[in-house]
Amino acid sequence: MTARQIKLGAFLWATGHHIAAWRHPKVHVTAGIDIDHYIQLARTAEAAKFDMIFCEDAAGLREANIGIASQTSRSIGFEPISLLSALAVQTSRIGLVSTASTSYNEPYGLARTFLSLDHLSGGRAGWNLVTSASPIEAANFGSTGLKPHADRYERAREFAEVVTGLWHGKASGHDGQSFSVRDPLDLPRSPQGAPVMVQAGASDVGRDLAARTADVVFTAAQTFEEAKAFYDDLKGRLAAYGREPDDIKIMPGVAPVVAETEAEAREKYEELQALIPDDVGVALLSSYLSISDLWRYPIDGPLPDPPESEGMKSRQALVIEQSRRDNLSIRQLARHFAGARGHWRIVGTAAQIADELQARFESGAADGFNVMPAYFPGELDAFATLVVPELQRRGLFRKEYEGRTLRDQLGLKQPVNCGAA
Amino acid sequence: MDSGATMHLAVSLFPGIADPSPEPGFSRLTGFVQKAEAAGLDMVLLADSAPASGGGAANSPMPFEATTLLAALATVTSRIGLVAAASTVAHQPYNLARRFASLDIIGHGRSGWNATMTQAPREAANFSRPEGFSPDDFRRRSEEYIGIVQGLWRGWDADALLFDQSGGRFHDPEKMHLLDHKGGFFSVRGPLNVARSPQDTPVLVLSDLSEADLDIAARTADVILLDDGPLDGTTERYDDIRRRVTGCGRDPDAVKVLTNVAPTANSKLAALADRLEKEFRARGCDGFNILMPAQLSALDDFVDLVLPELRQRGLFRENYRGTTLRSHLGLAGGGDR
Repeated sequence: MTARQIKLGAFLWATGHHIAAWRHPKVHVTAGIDIDHYIQLARTAEAAKFDMIFCEDAAGLREANIGIASQTSRSIGFEPISLLSALAVQTSRIGLVSTASTSYNEPYGLARTFLSLDHLSGGRAGWNLVTSASPIEAANFGSTGLKPHADRYERAREFAEVVTGLWHGKASGHDGQSFSVRDPLDLPRSPQGAPVMVQAGASDVGRDLAARTADVVFTAAQTFEEAKAFYDDLKGRLAAYGREPDDIKIMPGVAPVVAETEAEAREKYEELQALIPDDVGVALLSSYLSISDLWRYPIDGPLPDPPESEGMKSRQALVIEQSRRDNLSIRQLARHFAGARGHWRIVGTAAQIADELQARFESGAADGFNVMPAYFPGELDAFATLVVPELQRRGLFRKEYEGRTLRDQLGLKQPVNCGAA
Repeated sequence: MDSGATMHLAVSLFPGIADPSPEPGFSRLTGFVQKAEAAGLDMVLLADSAPASGGGAANSPMPFEATTLLAALATVTSRIGLVAAASTVAHQPYNLARRFASLDIIGHGRSGWNATMTQAPREAANFSRPEGFSPDDFRRRSEEYIGIVQGLWRGWDADALLFDQSGGRFHDPEKMHLLDHKGGFFSVRGPLNVARSPQDTPVLVLSDLSEADLDIAARTADVILLDDGPLDGTTERYDDIRRRVTGCGRDPDAVKVLTNVAPTANSKLAALADRLEKEFRARGCDGFNILMPAQLSALDDFVDLVLPELRQRGLFRENYRGTTLRSHLGLAGGGDR
């Protein structure tokens, strides 16, 4: 039995997680139309022994203001199921996890699609369940408005139940509040028992759903205290569902900027920050806070009080807490959040970053980390060549993959077969 | 018929595979599609195993859903067109349009969507619609659905992306267009969050048409698949479709009509070449969609024995002329030079 080790996700997004990544001189600016670029990123992550690639998703533009959207690289890109299906046959060990919405899909189709990805990859697929909080997405699906938070989660709970039932070969039909399904899936069972279930919702109802169904949980936590509180709370909820603490891997997002020296890392970060236009930063912040008229307020003044949000409840609370704590102006807060999107930013050397990750990992605030490189491919390469070897030297990260499936790499149990045909 | 007088050839791959083989499913399918590509065929059509559609029980089911399979096959081929069946019941139009737009960028302009105009029995019951759709509703819904998908595919102009790093302009907002569709079955604002296809739009292949669907096909389709029938009826049928296409204000050559042909195990291959030649020369179609039997090796016989015969008679081109599916099919927007 080897010691507990850190799990790592390579979170691939557009030209990079920094909002101004696409303007960086070393970025691959055509990422959103270049499949070879993604194949290269996947191979880099696999060579570094990452547990998984993660693609988040939205079925629509990210930004309602077209002028703002046109100053970012996030309005176009690959649809993640097709992207991961392409990457599945160009890699052999790394997990392939994509977000998909319970609000704009049907469980039968989603279960079938992810199971197909699982077969293409030999048991390396995972589904990140989201309920979709954006009114921009809602407008692409005939909805006149976003459904209330509680309704979305009730639908998501039923959706997840149907999907896992289908994956486990449940033969009898389902006739519920939101969905009805008559037949079992027409594909063979998953090579890893069932695709891995991932969730990121951090609200109270989101945590309960995760405790009931998730194998992996992504989260945004800036401070150690937030991370530890979330970790303890979620692990504490598992017993109620007959699960053990190790049955869920909690992987907070981390947005590192790494270089050989701390001074170089700082310089690299400031170079990116300087590329953020003010209007873009403020727009991004206003969408997180659901304050549509944030631009009306003086940019060097404090944040106004936000309305009660039907969108991302937990993310919103995080931003507000930060602004009050550090007495930040709208501009300062916008820049600060634009870079890491509310996730944990560490700027420094490989040793400094490894120290921070190790501290959270060893004091029970994380089982691993979802790594959010500032720009691609440079910052993924930097993490792979600088931080990963440092973690390996400390015995905190694998040098070889444990097995063939994503469940093997994550050290997850085979899911229990709940009533096969 | 093309002025070049060369027929178009597709092969269809079905969900059930009868060959007993220890080789994993995807490698076998790769071999099949690469063989079709080496032979210069226009496209492979990937059927999707609809639940309870009654495929041969002896066949082992293919473990892949068609659009995910297409994405994977696109990375191991470079010229052949790849068309996946996807149901209008199983997907929301925004999601389907987006999936195919993305597939078309992955494959550098070689993708197509095969939409069936006939409701699969029992399918709706797995998608929270146990009552299904009436035939009339299904037709009106399909027409609206196709219009949305094609509209979304045109949401970004081909030159919308600027990549202007120093000027801070990633794309030109004037060249991104909302769809703002509000119809009887769907409302979809758009635009897609996927760039314009390298071949203008993915190719739309319509199949399982009834008489009442022909006008919808004439307005929207790039390729129409028709069932095999008596030879003397095909010319009349082909002319009728071309008249309808012209009636919609489209160039009659903008729609290619392919006849489904199912070679039987004992059919003489020379006879098959004769039969294809006869229908093609009689102006009964623009080409053929060969329905492959469950044995993947059947493609070998077609490629090794029938194709050389067709080429010798000047009925099929020697090589690909372009890189996109539209260019193979002689359709506008294919980036043909």
